[in-house]
Amino acid sequence: MIKFEQVSKTYPGGQQALRKVNFHIEPGEMAFLTGHSGAGKSTLLKLISIMERPTVGKVFINGHDLGSIQRKQIAYIRRDIGMIFQSHQLLMDKSVFDNVALPLVIEGYSHKEIAKRVHAALEMVGLRDKVKSLPMMLSGGEQQRVGIARAVVNKPPLLLADEPTGNLDPKLSMEIIRLFEDFNQAGVSVFIATHDLGLIARMKYRTLTLKQGQMITDGLTEDFQSDELYD
Amino acid sequence: MSILFKGRMQGAQVSNISLYQRVVMFFVSHLRQALSSLGAMWRSRAASLMTIGVLGLSITLPTTLYVMVKNVEKISSGWEQASQISLFLKPNIRQGDIDQLLKRIQLWPEIDAINYISSEQALNEFKDMSGFGDAIAYLDDNPLPNVVLVTPTSRHASPVSARLLLDRLRDEREVDIGKLDIEWLERLHGILNVVKNLVSVVAILLFLAVVLIIGNTIRLNILNKKDEILVMKLVGATDAFIQRPFMYTGFWYGFLGGVLAWFAVILLLLWMSNSVSAVSALYQKNFEITGVDFSTFLWVIGISVFLGLSGSLLSVKRHVREIEPK
Repeated sequence: MIKFEQVSKTYPGGQQALRKVNFHIEPGEMAFLTGHSGAGKSTLLKLISIMERPTVGKVFINGHDLGSIQRKQIAYIRRDIGMIFQSHQLLMDKSVFDNVALPLVIEGYSHKEIAKRVHAALEMVGLRDKVKSLPMMLSGGEQQRVGIARAVVNKPPLLLADEPTGNLDPKLSMEIIRLFEDFNQAGVSVFIATHDLGLIARMKYRTLTLKQGQMITDGLTEDFQSDELYD
Repeated sequence: MSILFKGRMQGAQVSNISLYQRVVMFFVSHLRQALSSLGAMWRSRAASLMTIGVLGLSITLPTTLYVMVKNVEKISSGWEQASQISLFLKPNIRQGDIDQLLKRIQLWPEIDAINYISSEQALNEFKDMSGFGDAIAYLDDNPLPNVVLVTPTSRHASPVSARLLLDRLRDEREVDIGKLDIEWLERLHGILNVVKNLVSVVAILLFLAVVLIIGNTIRLNILNKKDEILVMKLVGATDAFIQRPFMYTGFWYGFLGGVLAWFAVILLLLWMSNSVSAVSALYQKNFEITGVDFSTFLWVIGISVFLGLSGSLLSVKRHVREIEPK
């Protein structure tokens, strides 16, 4: 589903964010990406959603080389990727319904279809009764779930999450991860960047670890000790 | 259809709706966006009104000047039709010859009417009118020539054919000098042309100013909505989709500015029509200001909308592209 081949990214100014990164996530897989802040996690996700382009190497989604995607096509690529952010990226002056409906409005769905799908997505994240609320009135965990509903409302085959549990306590974090597991069981590929090692340690998922831009481990959580990271 | 995932439908294709419905949806969604842009302008009434005011007044000035030039042209074309030819006869010709001449040219088909003013008549008239009566009494003989005033028929009153007629009249044996009274009209036309050019220059400058004002207003709108645009780009909105509401805002600015300009022009002309009719009464002419008809209205609105759209296009092309999620 996602494949990196010898990918390096150097920002203007010489800061090297990624060095020769290789990995491959299969369709239907759920995987974590971890590492210090500044290790290159966000850069790696940005290369997948084409917010940045690699300096060297190739990124593939579903076998398509993203290097061949032109600027005009990027919008259509993003419709295939559900993205979830630590800062939610919700529109604070719009209702929960309008926020979740945004991807569907952009894609030109009919009114009826939009209502149907938005309600279904909010049902999945357990916010059915908050349809008319403003994001401001919701708790941090609820806001994050609105963001998730928005990411899955057009049923993308791939979900990317950047620190989705960043501001949440362990219990809420676990609930969010369970949501991702549900989507994964429905066949969606899920790729989550997080520095919450305690969270990962409780589950047995493939974990990719970045350190100073290099991929240092790639395997199941139990295969490595967390102190490996922090030496 | 998705680029990355073969067989994954995007957007409207999912619901498998007919082409007809899709066309209807296209217009419905455009109408909805147009109305929501209008709603957004209403929510910031004060700022919107100021922009519309600037736009309207900028269009009012050239439109009013244009209407005035059109009207002056109309008046002058009315006078052109009445152009008169003055024939000054040779001195020392007998009265019989003069009568012969008058009888002859009266029959010409190009001539509508003739009016003979003998030198004595002219002298008497001059005495009465000028107040030099006593001075004239000292003259040995009458210095004024006999004059025939010729009015061409309306078909021969245009400058070109009147000039042809003049040439023929000059060939008459008794005629000394012939003059056509349209030279001042040609001067008026010259001045009118200068004024017209001036109106065009003023219009172009003001129109440019309007484009820049709208462009800047839309730029501020875009920057105000920066966060929203970022989120929209993140969830897959194309530039075209993001631009549309701003283009509609530009359209509304143009349209409402045009309507305002139209009312301002009508008010100005109404206000001026009193003084204009006072002047035209002095000339014993019935004169109404014209040019404020439906086609001018359409032109004003059309130009105004065009300016609004150009301004917003200028802004949108630059700034929506610049905002990219980082």
